[in-house]
Amino acid sequence: MNTESVAEIDGLRVEVGGRAIVDGVRLRVRPGTVTALVGASGSGKTTTGLALLGEYPHGARVTGEVRTPEGLVGYVPQHPGAVLNPVRRVGALLWDIARTQVRHLPRRERGEAARERVLEALAAAQLPDGAEMLTRYPHQLSGGQQQRVVLAQALLLGARVVVADEPTTGQDAVTKRHVVERFAALRRTGIAVVLLSHDLDVVRALADEVLVMREGKVVESGPAARLWSAPRHPWTAALLAADGAVEPVEPDDGEGEVVLRTSPFTARHGRTTVLRAPALTLRTGESLAVVGRSGSGKTTLARCLAGLHRHHDGTLLLDGSPLPRSLRARGREQLAAVQYVFQDARAAFDEHRQVLDQVARTAVRLRGLDRGAALAEAVSTLAGLGLTEEVVRRRPGRLSGGELQRAALARALLARPRVLICDEITSGLDTVTRRGLLDALGTLRRERGELCLVLITHDLDTAALTSRIAVLDAGETVEEGSTRTVLTGPQHPFTRALLGKEAAVGVTPSGR
Amino acid sequence: MKSRTREGGSRFLLGVLIVGVPLLLALLGPLFAGEPGPRAASFTAGGGHWLGTDFVGRDVWRQVLLGGRSVVLVALAATVLAYVVALPLGLASALTHRGWLEELLMRPLDVLLAVPSLLMILLVAAVFTPGAVGLALLVALVNIPDAARIVRATAAEAAARPAVEALRMQGESWWRTAVGYVGRSATRTLAADAGVRFTGVLYLVATAAFLGVGVEPDAADWAVMVDRNRTGLFVQPWAVVVPALLIVALTMGGNLLVDSALDHRKRRQK
Repeated sequence: MNTESVAEIDGLRVEVGGRAIVDGVRLRVRPGTVTALVGASGSGKTTTGLALLGEYPHGARVTGEVRTPEGLVGYVPQHPGAVLNPVRRVGALLWDIARTQVRHLPRRERGEAARERVLEALAAAQLPDGAEMLTRYPHQLSGGQQQRVVLAQALLLGARVVVADEPTTGQDAVTKRHVVERFAALRRTGIAVVLLSHDLDVVRALADEVLVMREGKVVESGPAARLWSAPRHPWTAALLAADGAVEPVEPDDGEGEVVLRTSPFTARHGRTTVLRAPALTLRTGESLAVVGRSGSGKTTLARCLAGLHRHHDGTLLLDGSPLPRSLRARGREQLAAVQYVFQDARAAFDEHRQVLDQVARTAVRLRGLDRGAALAEAVSTLAGLGLTEEVVRRRPGRLSGGELQRAALARALLARPRVLICDEITSGLDTVTRRGLLDALGTLRRERGELCLVLITHDLDTAALTSRIAVLDAGETVEEGSTRTVLTGPQHPFTRALLGKEAAVGVTPSGR
Repeated sequence: MKSRTREGGSRFLLGVLIVGVPLLLALLGPLFAGEPGPRAASFTAGGGHWLGTDFVGRDVWRQVLLGGRSVVLVALAATVLAYVVALPLGLASALTHRGWLEELLMRPLDVLLAVPSLLMILLVAAVFTPGAVGLALLVALVNIPDAARIVRATAAEAAARPAVEALRMQGESWWRTAVGYVGRSATRTLAADAGVRFTGVLYLVATAAFLGVGVEPDAADWAVMVDRNRTGLFVQPWAVVVPALLIVALTMGGNLLVDSALDHRKRRQK
């Protein structure tokens, strides 16, 4: 036994329904270091991380040894808002914990002591202006602030180990940098951080020790520097290689036939105008990336085109004939022509029915195929995206996020769409899965020459896959042009900021 | 996990047992009731009468055997009927994007909701003197607004999920979207509501019977028995206690059954 470590896992094996989701994992967590578990979604990172908390999936068979420090292990989940009681103020949430720790003091001194502890914990969690947070409700905080409040709860409990689950997933570049700084500061206080992430930028900036996981096993582990410079296992090499930027594709010649044309329009949510879109012309074989930070109106633009958001004043023309604003008024062929892939694939599937059936329904409903033919086509389309029949015969709950996203893509493709709109479909995926999905989209563009692809993204790597880029900021289109021109010579200050900040995560000092 | 399964199983068994006794008595009792014997003195115990005699000297056991069918059938029919109307109303108003349609479907129900249900039943009863069928219809009617509102509220949450948008994107039919997904997602809440509603309906039917609506004043009916025999409660308690216990068992067992069935489904889904 290593006396240095504050927490250890030895030979952990977690089996659910006869399938090992974690197998023979060995982990040492030392104080004042960041141990990162990296790997594709479904590789067993979260299960391992939760094992430190003594949490296992329902009905799991667990063998192996988990030794954790006295006191609790802190946990910062991916969506910190979900673990904060929404009807209580931040102060009350922290007060509840602090109160139990000041019982030994005389009654008069308790209040002051508890308050001091709360503020100390908030400061340690990088919320120096904590006093003003205390009166707010969790929903009045930003995602980053919620994350820090959860962290403060853990610190208040005296946690010496903090498990952080995907703290940067779906965040833009600026937010990511703050998260990195936050955990770096935590490490300096001597707390051991276990980072579960597939975001290699963040792992590179933070981790001292890295464990690469695949299918429940640790394929490689070692000091971060060594792993990065000389990966020993081919899977690690693949993971690192997939992280690089994509070469921009050649711009199209703009000769394709016009599929979808819109007039300039403004879209509203209630009375607020959320988007002013310019006239758009989408041609066959073309691909357009709509880029912007969250809240810039890019999803609204996509939803307007797809018919999911009908509160706008534009006219849509599909092959020159008007396309109803609302999905409900669109006919079969119009529905099939414009398909939309949702950002949250898990929420976009019916959790009660097996995935294959749901995917096949598109062909039944929109193309009039019989069930057998539709299933056969669904199986082959899914296989083309790397999903075996055995996997898609399950219900959505038993598929990983990446698998579901590919299934969602297949569901849209079965309509044989002319315009395919993908809303942030790569956010929240690990590098390998993301690369796989982007490759699939690339293949799609080549194989289905007539397909027009619209990618909504905040990730410039993804945008590089397209031939044209439109940059949105606060509901306005600030720049539009060929991908190569925009990425190499951005004209608008906002585009430059987006590009500049993208680079910034990589150069954050690793603090080692 | 094992222990929890066993616990769920025992709860299920308990529910079956508790609900089974009154249900079997209610449905099969009339087959075993036999011919009415000669009337004895009121409120006596013994004398060949298992549970004594009631306020007009009839055998209580025979009245118990005969008196469940009307209560149980009316309550069941009323609950089912309320949902038959409330489900399509609630689902349609949750899934529509036309504000006026939602108003049209839900607003009239709010008016109905404002009238106390017992008052409504008494008013209608005073005018029409309904029989058992009329009572079932009436009780269903006063339950529709509540049930429809709950269906709509539960369904509205499910109808706003991306899964519903995805179904629309696939050109899925209204029926499949509404019943196959939205309705199914709402099952847990609705089943819990149905359990509570059945209890409420049973209470309402019993109260109506107690007040003489829909049944004859001396009819063999558990609720009527409780009312008419309460004068002799201290002389011959069985004539009140047995039918009252049976009504309580029916509602309690019903709720236990619904709970354990839901737990079972939840475990299976995990």
